Amino acid sequence: MTVQEIVNKHGNDREHLLVILHDIQSASPDNSLHREAIDELARVMDISVADIVGTASFYTMFSLQPRGRHIIRLCESPPCYIAGEENILAALERRLGVKVGETTPDGAFTLETTSCLGACGVAPVMMVDDEVYGHLTEDDAVRIVETIATGAAA
Amino acid sequence: MKTVRVQVLLCAGGSCISSGTQSVREAFEASLVAHDLADEVEIITTGCMGMCEVGPIAIVYPEGVFYQKVKAADAEEIVSEHLLKGRVVERLFYRKPSTQELIQAISDIDFFKLQHKIALRNCGQIDPERIQEYIAMDGYVALGKALTEMTPQGVLDEIKQSGLRGRGGAGFPTGIKWSAAAAETSDIKYVVCNADEGDPGAFMDRSILEGDPHSVLEAMSICGYAIGARQGYIYVRAEYPLAIERLEKAIVQARELGMLGTDIFGSGFDFDIEIRMGAGAFVCGEETSLMHSIEGRRGEPRPKPPFPAQKGLFDKPTVLNNVETFANVPTIIMEGAEAFAALGTEKSKGTKVFALAGDVNNTGLVEVPMGISLGAIVYDVGGGIPNEKKFKAVQIGGPSGGCIPAPYLNTPVTYESLPELGAIMGSGGLVVMNEDTCMVDLARYFLEFIAEESCGKCTPCRVGTRIMLELVTNICEGRGTMQDLDRLEELSDFIRQGSLCGLGQTAPNPVLSTLQYFRHEYIAHIQDHHCEAGVCGSMMFAPCTNACPAAVNVPAYLAYVGQERYEDALREHLKANPFPSVCGRVCPQWCIKKCRRADLEGPLAVRLVKRFMADQREDYSDLYPPKEPPNGKKVAVIGSGPAGLTAAYYLTLMGYKATVFDQQPEAGGMLRYAIPDYRLPREYVDKEIEGLERLGVEIRTNVHVGKDTTLSNLQADGYEALYLACGAGHEIKPDLPGIDLPGVYTGISFLERVAKGEDLKVGPDVVVIGGGDSAIDASRIARRRGARNITILYRRTRSEMPTNPIEIREAEVEGNQVEFLTNIGGIYARDDGRLEIEVRKMRLGAFDKTGRRRPEEIRGVAERRVVDNVIIAIGQRSDVGDILADGQGLQADRWGGVEADRKTGATAVPFIFAGGDLVSGAATVVEAIAAGQAGARAIDQYLSPGVRQNYPWEHPASPDVPVDPDQDIEDIAPVSDPLLSPEERLITLEVEKTILPWEARCEAGRCLRCDYKG
Repeated sequence: MTVQEIVNKHGNDREHLLVILHDIQSASPDNSLHREAIDELARVMDISVADIVGTASFYTMFSLQPRGRHIIRLCESPPCYIAGEENILAALERRLGVKVGETTPDGAFTLETTSCLGACGVAPVMMVDDEVYGHLTEDDAVRIVETIATGAAA
Repeated sequence: MKTVRVQVLLCAGGSCISSGTQSVREAFEASLVAHDLADEVEIITTGCMGMCEVGPIAIVYPEGVFYQKVKAADAEEIVSEHLLKGRVVERLFYRKPSTQELIQAISDIDFFKLQHKIALRNCGQIDPERIQEYIAMDGYVALGKALTEMTPQGVLDEIKQSGLRGRGGAGFPTGIKWSAAAAETSDIKYVVCNADEGDPGAFMDRSILEGDPHSVLEAMSICGYAIGARQGYIYVRAEYPLAIERLEKAIVQARELGMLGTDIFGSGFDFDIEIRMGAGAFVCGEETSLMHSIEGRRGEPRPKPPFPAQKGLFDKPTVLNNVETFANVPTIIMEGAEAFAALGTEKSKGTKVFALAGDVNNTGLVEVPMGISLGAIVYDVGGGIPNEKKFKAVQIGGPSGGCIPAPYLNTPVTYESLPELGAIMGSGGLVVMNEDTCMVDLARYFLEFIAEESCGKCTPCRVGTRIMLELVTNICEGRGTMQDLDRLEELSDFIRQGSLCGLGQTAPNPVLSTLQYFRHEYIAHIQDHHCEAGVCGSMMFAPCTNACPAAVNVPAYLAYVGQERYEDALREHLKANPFPSVCGRVCPQWCIKKCRRADLEGPLAVRLVKRFMADQREDYSDLYPPKEPPNGKKVAVIGSGPAGLTAAYYLTLMGYKATVFDQQPEAGGMLRYAIPDYRLPREYVDKEIEGLERLGVEIRTNVHVGKDTTLSNLQADGYEALYLACGAGHEIKPDLPGIDLPGVYTGISFLERVAKGEDLKVGPDVVVIGGGDSAIDASRIARRRGARNITILYRRTRSEMPTNPIEIREAEVEGNQVEFLTNIGGIYARDDGRLEIEVRKMRLGAFDKTGRRRPEEIRGVAERRVVDNVIIAIGQRSDVGDILADGQGLQADRWGGVEADRKTGATAVPFIFAGGDLVSGAATVVEAIAAGQAGARAIDQYLSPGVRQNYPWEHPASPDVPVDPDQDIEDIAPVSDPLLSPEERLITLEVEKTILPWEARCEAGRCLRCDYKG
């Protein structure tokens, strides 16, 4: 979808900016807000680029930098932390060869941490794209990532 | 025709879905088709049932059989066994954590039984994706009633009278909020539902949105009618895609049936709802930020007033409530304010949903009446603390909340009571923490969260939380100072006063509440570089050594044993503890509670390896640390138990002339006269005491200080310092009828008389009163002296018993019974020479200061029993009246011991030090050894100030045994404890054998070498 189409879908009012940004980001090949798209959006919605960037940068889910095709969000809230989130993070970092906030060189995964995912009963938890995985062990986390990687390659 | 005979409810809450609900559903469907049951059995996927830990959950109705942790592979068995043949599948039942009892019906599980559901009334009961199911549970009846039978003012009055307060955290009365918006004159008003549930650990809003979305839609419509609004918004965080999906479906269905839209129920009232999605910003849970975000702007807070009720979304009057608050509204309208207000306390009405998480058996969502005690939530609903760990605190209210420790478990949970303790109700996150949680680290963690989530608008919050984080991080890493604690409190004040929104105003709470209740942990980190919980890695050599009171270098001696370098192993052990043979037999092993191998096959059998190591040498006095030349100074030690002997050992090594006095005929104290020889044969006590004598420790027995000589005399004899370690051997005797009758013994004197070789007679039926080590020991000695039926009466339950669970198990293996929740009421002589006792029944009542439940008698159910002997072993204290009597100015503590600094042993008199049980009360051997170390250091610093910076037991170093960090960890079965059978035990002396050399090497090889820092 083009920026214009996305704006048409939701409406031109300022109040729809967040959902429009979500859609633009999802439509991009690398899960981020491209400068060209922001320029286009500024024109279509008649909001300044600075204002759009200022708003987008306030929210952690919007990225102005290119990210992987899949976003891994490991929950770091207390129930997950107590249940060993740090070990899972270390295992994922080892497997992917990147640190939190970084993207694998092949552009497949970006590793992020997130605030509570609300599945504390099955901590530790991570979300890959829209899918939530609970009761994680280090092995589970690595296996899930590997499964997705193979699926993506196929 | 399709006649449904059975319904299987499958939990499709967020947590259960992540555990595999979808595949379970598919397996059920396939299996039903295969057995031709598809027409008789209906599979319904519901919202969250609350017990997330054991998901996916399946409940088979009409019986209500509860199956936990159901895998796709289990579906076939449930269908073919239960649904087809009527035989329930027991292996999938829930087990009651405290008793391991299997429970079949959901109605019998405490977790559900003790709840009272209003906000969660439909969660887990209905399919949230079908509006018909909501309607079948009286859904939209409240809206119909409001629109057709009540005026807007009537609705406002009803909500006001119900006493409902905001469940999002602040607890503002909902009725007042609504009335304020209703009173505004404006064409346009809004109803906003705050579903930006960002508090870590809280997920009730998510569960309601996913499990019962219509209850929120209905409530918002009722609110719109009451205040005169026609438009509602639900602001949901983007982290909850499933909630958004189900809400979207619900809104479409409600519109289709005319529950949303124009002219609802033909009343002329129009109302519609839109969803707005967040994008990851914690502060958007704050109402003014949230409204900015809905408007498509940066979600920053603004000052209040004006309040949203006057000037809210798009500058119009707005009511903003959270999900759980709204979910209560339909029930209040339907059943009336009075029914709702009947629950809870005077100022906190109704129920509250808590998200129970952390170190507790039943995690998940619970809805309980307001005013319930914290302890009841943790222990009754939550099922207590798993893995025999100790409760430490609950963190309640999320990052803005606080930690409440064990002494406050009786606190009723209300909006008023929690702030008094430095916490808040918050959105209802309730994280239970056990002894493995470091409170300083926890504060650091929350500060990190808050510093990260601070939106940056107010400088005190943005910069202040960063500085606080730096200070607390320094403390965690051993660089903190005592001044840092003052600075933390100062900064807390600034941040509280200088921040616009609730996030900033409450940001310091986690630090303030941990400082209030756990200041000693901060101080231990700063002054002793010690993290009691074993979390702060930079101040830890290895978790086991950190946990050992005597700081024995466990990884080193294990590594040497693995290499058959037994002398090196012993040398390492003797640096910190001169009693490897004794501790190899009786140590309760503090070390293995923190052993990292516990996460694999189980913790190391450290004690068994230690025992093996000690048994390799008859005499290891040549392996002690090097002894310094005599310095001409004399020290007297009173008491030859492990504390006194350890102090004498180190003082002798440092060149002092140490003389140990003891009133008993032989040295060893409790090692010789209380611990039974089947656990600790006397030859090993002799072996280690003889080693100390070879080193140069002088021991004078049969000298009773206080009678034969006095502290003043010892001083006059040239002893420049005195170390009092005369233990806690004085028994507490209850005020009980018949306590002095023949045949009634007290525990320690019973054990001592047996140890001294007295031929004590016991009859066939013996009752022991108590739950500590001496009660268990006395019961086992009684069997060895011929008793046949031995019963231990303990007034609490198994989980409260202070003794090592292994000792209880072994007593039971030998045939002794433990009766819990019983106590003795009196002992009466009988004509036949036997004794009749009154046995009272107890129950657990309120919590005491240590977080244990206090036993209380159940009146009118006492029974009488006839026995031959009664052994009372309910505890010991010290009795040093005769020592203190010589006027040196020492103070007795309330336990009859000596008032002394726990850390240094310093007393009110400069040259007198004290330690061991005398100061701490009855404790373990290794704690006494630790006290002896501290006493030796304090005496050395007193007599030779500034000479020594380091002591032999300090600064453990890694052994010269290489570690290969890249080596894969293989599964190795732990060595089994070589215990004799109950029959063999009664004819031999020791009940346990020493493990074999290959077993010791293999077990030592399981050590993960946590000392290795790479």
